[in-house]
Amino acid sequence: MRKTFVFIISFLFILINGTTIKGQDSVQFGDSVIIPLKIRIGIEVAGPVIYFTDKSILNLEGYLSADLNEKISLFLGTGYSDYKYSQHNYDFLSKGIYIKVGADFNLLKPETAMGKYWAGVGVHYGLSSYVAETPLFKHENYWGITSSSLAKDTNWGHYIEICSGFRAELFRNFSVGWLISVRKLIYCGTSKDLRPIYFPGYGAGGKSFSTGLAYYIVWNIPYKKIKVALKKETPEEPEEPENTESTTNTTNSGR
Amino acid sequence: MMRKYFLKIFSALLGSTIIIMVACTPGACFDETNAFVKTSLYLYSTGKLLAPDSLTLYGINMDSSKIYNSSKNITLALLPLDASADSCGFVIMINGVIDTITFSYSTHPILLSKECGYTFYHTIDTPFYSRNIIDTITVSKNTITTLNEENIRIYY
Repeated sequence: MRKTFVFIISFLFILINGTTIKGQDSVQFGDSVIIPLKIRIGIEVAGPVIYFTDKSILNLEGYLSADLNEKISLFLGTGYSDYKYSQHNYDFLSKGIYIKVGADFNLLKPETAMGKYWAGVGVHYGLSSYVAETPLFKHENYWGITSSSLAKDTNWGHYIEICSGFRAELFRNFSVGWLISVRKLIYCGTSKDLRPIYFPGYGAGGKSFSTGLAYYIVWNIPYKKIKVALKKETPEEPEEPENTESTTNTTNSGR
Repeated sequence: MMRKYFLKIFSALLGSTIIIMVACTPGACFDETNAFVKTSLYLYSTGKLLAPDSLTLYGINMDSSKIYNSSKNITLALLPLDASADSCGFVIMINGVIDTITFSYSTHPILLSKECGYTFYHTIDTPFYSRNIIDTITVSKNTITTLNEENIRIYY
């Protein structure tokens, strides 16, 4: 069910973004373009949607980012997560908060991005404070069943996140976007023998790497406009070298 | 041009999403979940690994539940420890001659994986044993885990 939701949302975003209209904020001149720098407030929407279908995990996340220039923006994210897992031989609970700080890099050219589109990568450092507990686990062998538990413990985990994705302005100052994240665990806050099944912000604490997918609705607040010079494109090599005169005459006329 | 560009990006992202979804499919537990004392059986006179003609093994006071019952071709016996106690003993009958072995140990829990859950690892002290057919027991590795490594040797 959870996967189906993720899939449907993916397609919805593709359809919506495919029909996105071109923006009016930015103005392009011959050799430069005016780009609005923005502060963004985003909320992650997949977490609450998933919670309606799967009560075992609640993930609430939001972020604040500010453009430094047309390429780089600073990122500050925070979230809360409440996770429950149960199977025949153990129960596990973890809940806590996390923050992420870092930078996002827009790989689109300024004249393509126009201050409205973002497709690029982000590098974030994540710090999570969480309480984990195993209220019951059972182990069965020749001597019978042994039941035990692990008491509540507050832990601090941290990790590095690299994400890649896309964001587009649907309406004036409102964007939607999605991000695929790969996270590298630095420290999960516990001994190696008792790594948490899950810890907020990171995911599966038992693994060195985790992945994630997030969908955002973003409110953009323009705070400044900058003029960005456009890089002149080098003319393409002629296909037929012997026809020199005609190719020289058509340089820069393609666009 | 813009739309064409985004379609390319979306195709790549959608492909990645599908890969992630497949990769995240939860699985069953296929790992070993019991930590046994892995015991090699050596013939004392030659010092070589040799299966006894007959091996019977069970826990003390567990006569009705044999771990091995007149088994043949056993060169590596697996002895489970009682996680709810700090010591446990076994009756071992090699070629019809009975001995007992008692282990003292400490126990700690370990998470194997999300799929398999928790198990217990142990750290054993030097075992106590009778010497009817057993000559010597040596400890090769005193941490008892799910890894496939020898823990003790019985010379008989």
